[in-house]
Amino acid sequence: MVHGKLGKLSRSVSIIGVGATPFMNINEDPDLLGLTEGDCFGYAALKAMEDAGLEPRDVEYFYHGSANPKMFNDAVTPAMQVAEWFGMRGRGSVHHSEACATGYVALEQAVMAVASGAHDIVLSGGVEMATGLPDGKKPACFRRPMTTEDIWPDLDAIIDRAYTRYLGGGAIGQDDWIDVYRKEYGLTAEQVDDVLNMMSYQGRRAAALNPLALEREPFEDIAKRFGFDDPMDYLRSPFNPHTTQYLRVTGNAPSADGAACFIVCPTEMAKQFNKTPIEVLGVSASCLESARPHLERDATAEAAKQIYELTGIKPEDIDLLLVNDFILSSQLLAAEEVGYLPRGEGWKYVMEGRTAFDGDRPINTNGGRTSYGHAFGASGAADVYEAVIQMRGEAGAHQVKKLPKTAMLRGFGGGQNVRIAVLRTVDE
Amino acid sequence: MALTLERNVLKFYQGLEQGIIYGRKCTECGAVEFPPHYACNECGYHETEWVELSGKGVLKSVILPVSLNADNKLAAIGDYCFGIVQLEEGCEFNSTIFGVNAENADAIRAKLPVPVHAKFVPMDGYTTLLFEVDKDAL
Repeated sequence: MVHGKLGKLSRSVSIIGVGATPFMNINEDPDLLGLTEGDCFGYAALKAMEDAGLEPRDVEYFYHGSANPKMFNDAVTPAMQVAEWFGMRGRGSVHHSEACATGYVALEQAVMAVASGAHDIVLSGGVEMATGLPDGKKPACFRRPMTTEDIWPDLDAIIDRAYTRYLGGGAIGQDDWIDVYRKEYGLTAEQVDDVLNMMSYQGRRAAALNPLALEREPFEDIAKRFGFDDPMDYLRSPFNPHTTQYLRVTGNAPSADGAACFIVCPTEMAKQFNKTPIEVLGVSASCLESARPHLERDATAEAAKQIYELTGIKPEDIDLLLVNDFILSSQLLAAEEVGYLPRGEGWKYVMEGRTAFDGDRPINTNGGRTSYGHAFGASGAADVYEAVIQMRGEAGAHQVKKLPKTAMLRGFGGGQNVRIAVLRTVDE
Repeated sequence: MALTLERNVLKFYQGLEQGIIYGRKCTECGAVEFPPHYACNECGYHETEWVELSGKGVLKSVILPVSLNADNKLAAIGDYCFGIVQLEEGCEFNSTIFGVNAENADAIRAKLPVPVHAKFVPMDGYTTLLFEVDKDAL
């Protein structure tokens, strides 16, 4: 691979407002069925403005992210089509799609737009209506549930269509890195299973306390329904079968409908708004196509190197880590790769509950993709939302114990893009 | 710079029809770019030239398919796994490899890296390149 380096931003940029819908399955609730991408993105955008104390007229430009607006919403110009939902008719905007990394790219792009001096107040975020599809050629509120027959052929679209998907190179991604880890540190298959199940369990504990999360039923209750006293016994049982060599059903992210947005401005302006500003120290990037061996590990390592060089922060400075874990094992693996957990020891931290929302090295405090749900293009923006409310101490029942001052977010997706962002609370 | 507009992908698949594996070699660092693209992704130099590859290499990891990533079309051809293949020309990539199943996977894992060879597989309207564990590898 060809390595990279990040330059310093031309001016410091901070997040001054965040807004989000819950992650939902609108098909399961008659009161939600009929929600559209405009309803959701518009709500998240206006909530972010309200949070900052801004009106739509104050926002100069916006970025709109969605993993696959053509498939999910029959739209190829979605930014144009949602702008009027939140009072920005006539303002400039751009749409972007980087599959599951979209929400992280949303942060990178908005920060660059402000750092460049082109704009002062920029809104950015993502939306996906990922549990259904347009019901033929009808208005947006008429949707039908999505089936596996709908989604599977389309998942290929994140994999190179010249070579990789036809040369059998795209199917190793869920298991490759955890397989390397297992061999490197001599874990048995049963130990890996326990570690993954513990991550599922701890994620659900957080999600149960998070009103925005999709899957909120504690595994204790689910286990009881299946006749188990111990949730770990349920998680390792045939009722939770393997879907890949290492992952079980609970190691995969359920699709969700939802949106999340944030607003950035120059840090020097940020203190005049409602909330404690959260500075974006930088966003690094590395992208490796699905045929590349160990692509998630290597792109994470490259992006981590870049962000540490740029910001000068050390892994021990990080108080909170958000990792796109639609492949559940990514949580542990990325945490070790960026140095948040010691190499080869992270799995013990997981087993001891130290990576839970109420542990001393919290990861994915919103529940993670496998419990919070995964509204593809919105999920990264929902991670930004989560990091910001945790750093402000506004996370309520799932608030981490020690108020985080520095957070790292590792985005991943789209065959595959990696972004690493570092956020830091601006001192009073 | 001798860049010409080329049908790289077509040439590659036409090669597979004839049992030829095309790659491209960096004229600066010598790395083999596989599958073939215009430029070198090892060193970031702009120029590569066509080379034919042996199709011989080694398997470096073994991941067995389960429900989420299983492929009925491949299963109809034979037992297979996913893994990293490194060709003797140096390039490595994720691939699909025949001759591995739940029964022999652990024995193969214990012997990695295990020799493999190219397997040209006719698909619907094109021929693709997958790999197969050498018979005498076990």
